[in-house]
Amino acid sequence: MPKITYIEPNGNESVVDVPEGWTLMQGATSNGIDGIEAECGGSCSCATCHCYVETHADKLAAASETEEAMLTNVAAERRPNSRLSCQIKAIAELDGMVVRLPAAQS
Amino acid sequence: MGFSFDPYSPAVDSDPFPLYKTLRDEHPCFWSEEAGMWVFSRYADIVTALNDWQTYSSASGNLMTELPNRAGSTLGTTDPPRHDRLRGLVQHAFLKRNLEALGGPMRDIAAGAVAELRGVKQFDFINDFSSKFTVRVLFAALGLPMGDEQTVRDKAVLMVQSDPVTRAKGPEHIAAYNWMRDYAAGVIAERRKHPQDDLISHFSAAEIDGDKLDEMEVLLTTTTLIMAGIESLGGFMSMFALNMADYHDARRRVAADPKLIGDAVEESLRFNTSAQRFRRRLQKDVAIHGQTMKQGDFVCLAYGSGNRDERQFQNPDAYDINRKPKGHLGFGGGVHACLGSAIARMAIIIAFEEFFKVIPEFHRVQEQLPWMPSSTFRSPLRLELAAG
Ligand code: HEM
Ligand code: FES
Repeated sequence: MPKITYIEPNGNESVVDVPEGWTLMQGATSNGIDGIEAECGGSCSCATCHCYVETHADKLAAASETEEAMLTNVAAERRPNSRLSCQIKAIAELDGMVVRLPAAQS
Repeated sequence: MGFSFDPYSPAVDSDPFPLYKTLRDEHPCFWSEEAGMWVFSRYADIVTALNDWQTYSSASGNLMTELPNRAGSTLGTTDPPRHDRLRGLVQHAFLKRNLEALGGPMRDIAAGAVAELRGVKQFDFINDFSSKFTVRVLFAALGLPMGDEQTVRDKAVLMVQSDPVTRAKGPEHIAAYNWMRDYAAGVIAERRKHPQDDLISHFSAAEIDGDKLDEMEVLLTTTTLIMAGIESLGGFMSMFALNMADYHDARRRVAADPKLIGDAVEESLRFNTSAQRFRRRLQKDVAIHGQTMKQGDFVCLAYGSGNRDERQFQNPDAYDINRKPKGHLGFGGGVHACLGSAIARMAIIIAFEEFFKVIPEFHRVQEQLPWMPSSTFRSPLRLELAAG
């Protein structure tokens, strides 16, 4: 299972083994990591699973049109490395990836 | 005799939880002879299936007992990219930030419905409150013409049921579905002639990059929205009222501090969502937990069981409004996660804010509840409550 590091807004770092095929959002919500709300359950319709991709950006597929549109609704500052964590699936190539969670999701 | 799990049995309608536990512990990938499909009961297996729509397809229907012609034509019964295109057309109206204007009307509807209960000692929560509230809210949200509310509600409730004896939709269920389709067709035709600023007008005329929905998609998606909106919302509201009636400490805390309603709703969605079981169909063979499932087989995703999985939730059979159960499966998950989750959360919170103002203390009257016969949904048909 790829290991993903989540850095919460308070600086807390958690390293989670995310099952392959699960999304980074599910890796966080199923492990009690605060800082991701994921109100819509992963259907790309709430923008409350916002994260900043700190590493492995070159291994990610580009955001879909729906994700791009939804990213305009994030509560915290949108940055060039902003993504929705429900749209990133954990795969072997992402082992060691680090994502930072914003101070606010809604 | 071996273990069996029959989603058509009254025992599963009334209390599936002990059976779910056996499924999770002893048969995590179980072939149900009665349902003619596999059953996934563990949280992790369900999440994995929800993420992999390429393998676990919705295009052959997602209701455990499917209605005619729905497969392939609605949001819940298509796969990407067709699904995403349909969802893209309606999603906008259901986003949280686009629902704010509905808050005032919702509150008026709730206050009006609960006012009729002022001073009443005993009432049926479903008939006397939640069905009036949900149908009026959905009519307001979708822009349906007032007048037929009661019939529309009755048909919506009937069409999700199935016959416990024949294990299929009976003639009355199919007739209710056909009635709803004709009703939807009438509304669509009317809105095409006289477009208004409402969801159905927008939806029936919607175009993305010159691509329009075909007649069947407009019709069946509208029918699904009415069914899901009325039946799912009403069914879950009765489960929430039941939890509030049964768990006195939780009710008192919530009635005293309505800001806690949201947390209690999330815990009820985990503890006993009305949307217990949906299905998918395998697009390739899958080997899991010592079984080999074949391409073409159906798989039931028992959300209600995943939500009680001790591998995911500590002390899962306790109702605890402090839990804040992130990642619960009460609205499903992945690409097919409930389109109406934001409007449902908002409606339930407003309804109970108003309800608690008038009836802060109440308890259950029936010892045994009459449960709806349904292989997919779980909620009582009547819920008698006594105030005070
Ligand atoms: C508390 C009330 C509700 C519950 C518990 C609920 C539950 C669910 C669940 C579990 C699913 C996933 C089905 C699957 O996995 O195949 C779903 C999908 C859906 N729900 Fe809800 N629902 C509720 C309210 C609503 C409302 C109010 C509406 C509409 C106004 C709605 C519309 C839909 C639609 C259209 C889908 C299909 C979405 C898709 O496949 O993309 N639901 N719902
Ligand atoms: S969970 Fe809602 S957009 Fe990602």
